[in-house]
Amino acid sequence: MATWGLHAYRARDLTQHDWRTEAGGTVKPAPFEYHRPGSLAEALEVIGRYGDELKPLAGGQSLIPMLAMRLARPSHLMDLQRVAELRRVVREGNVLRVGAMVRHRDMERTAEVPSVVATAIPHIGHFQIRNRGTVGGSLAHMDPAAEWPALSLLLGCSVVAVSTRGSRRIPADDFAIGPLMTALEPDELMTELLVPLPEGGGGFAEVERRSGDFALVGAGCQDGTVVVFGAGPRPQRLAMTEQFIKAGGAPGPELENIAALEIVARGDIHASAEYRRRTGATLVNRVVRQSRTHVEGT
Amino acid sequence: MELTLNVNGREWRGDVPGRLILADLLRDRLHLTGTHLGCEQGVCGACTVLVDGEAVRSCLMLALQADGCSIRTVESLAPDGQLSRIQAAFLRHRALQCGFCTPGFLMSITELLDSGQRYNREELAEMLSGNVCRCTGYEPILDAVLECQD
Ligand SMILES: Cc1cc2nc3c(=O)[nH]c(=O)nc-3n(C[C@H](O)[C@H](O)[C@H](O)COP(=O)(O)OP(=O)(O)OC[C@H]3O[C@@H](n4cnc5c(N)ncnc54)[C@H](O)[C@@H]3O)c2cc1C
Ligand code: FES
Ligand code: FES
Repeated sequence: MATWGLHAYRARDLTQHDWRTEAGGTVKPAPFEYHRPGSLAEALEVIGRYGDELKPLAGGQSLIPMLAMRLARPSHLMDLQRVAELRRVVREGNVLRVGAMVRHRDMERTAEVPSVVATAIPHIGHFQIRNRGTVGGSLAHMDPAAEWPALSLLLGCSVVAVSTRGSRRIPADDFAIGPLMTALEPDELMTELLVPLPEGGGGFAEVERRSGDFALVGAGCQDGTVVVFGAGPRPQRLAMTEQFIKAGGAPGPELENIAALEIVARGDIHASAEYRRRTGATLVNRVVRQSRTHVEGT
Repeated sequence: MELTLNVNGREWRGDVPGRLILADLLRDRLHLTGTHLGCEQGVCGACTVLVDGEAVRSCLMLALQADGCSIRTVESLAPDGQLSRIQAAFLRHRALQCGFCTPGFLMSITELLDSGQRYNREELAEMLSGNVCRCTGYEPILDAVLECQD
């Protein structure tokens, strides 16, 4: 987040000429044609027509700053707000089907959400961000430090991607490719996240510089699955650590060392790779312990 | 494109470009300059307004996304120049110095107070972490909110 500041001021200087000119006020984003479909069928038709010239607009909490700084300059913008089909949360057996336009705030108020999800959501920005930001927008934006991509890997979720060509389910592991990169095709819309409801309790923890910031590094554990996020280019499952737990290994220095060995970490202005690896391993140890307490407690 | 809003109880209709940001509509066209713009990228909270009762960043919304919605800005708190309860508490507790952050804080706090839920000091500090103040050190702001929850 902090790196955005610089871009913002530069973008403003560069565009001073035309951002003051439009009749009656300031405009920051480059011009685009605005579409507001009223149904899923209409939305698919519009995205099918314009493909990669178009960006879907969900809550706008990531896209609007990118438009305002002109880091994104789509010629078409499709506001999904009025597509009612994307706003539903439905439980079907052991799967929670979460519409792409369901907001973080709606999930905070949904009773069926798994406990790891309930623990993680308050870490997403601030309540004002959660009032607008959506599950689908978070997944499609694919910030490596965002909670939803990590949660979807942890719980074994799938993304439902739909186009006029048909519909497919993309497992979380295949969906997140890297920073701001997903498996969605330019004419595909994400319609739902399928969340298998876990049996027991899980564990979730992250380290952020200030409340509401993106995580420097975070970790989750659920039924023997262990995930770290914010360390590398995308959320990572820790296979060796999972193996250790499966073989009866308990939380402690040994588990922490195994996790540290396999965490893929990068350094940047916010934290070094070594910091992310060590802190990530400490968090892994903590969330494994949390998930066990839950299991024993039930 | 055609836009209809209710702003502080009054209907507004107009033709706006798709790329107009809500904050710029409020400030430049409606001259409601109480809504401040600091970072213009969602970080500082100065631009917070209520959209259908919920606190949001007006710098992170297109004006068209608010079509059909009710907007409340800081100007709605003291329509007749009479300070509202939270504004009076801010004054009493010295919860503002330069005042740049104040409109954003007041609107975030309005959602919290209107929800009827009570928060302790620690919870409030967390809930208000999305509004940045460079002057007061936050403590007097928390004092003012705690008083208004009574
Ligand atoms: C101050 C601040 C702090 C934040 N902190 C955090 C944080 O700690 N953790 C976190 O996870 N997030 C954080 N966010 C981001 C926030 O969670 C966003 O809500 C989220 O990243 C994007 O969701 P959105 O609904 O706003 O999507 P948008 O910004 O509208 O869209 C994001 C991207 O997804 C695409 N898209 C959206 N919907 C679809 C769809 N249905 N199909 C295909 N593509 C789609 C858009 O085209 C765009 O490329 C923060 C944001 C701010 C401003
Ligand atoms: S101006 Fe909107 S959050 Fe800073
Ligand atoms: S009073 Fe100056 S920034 Fe808050």
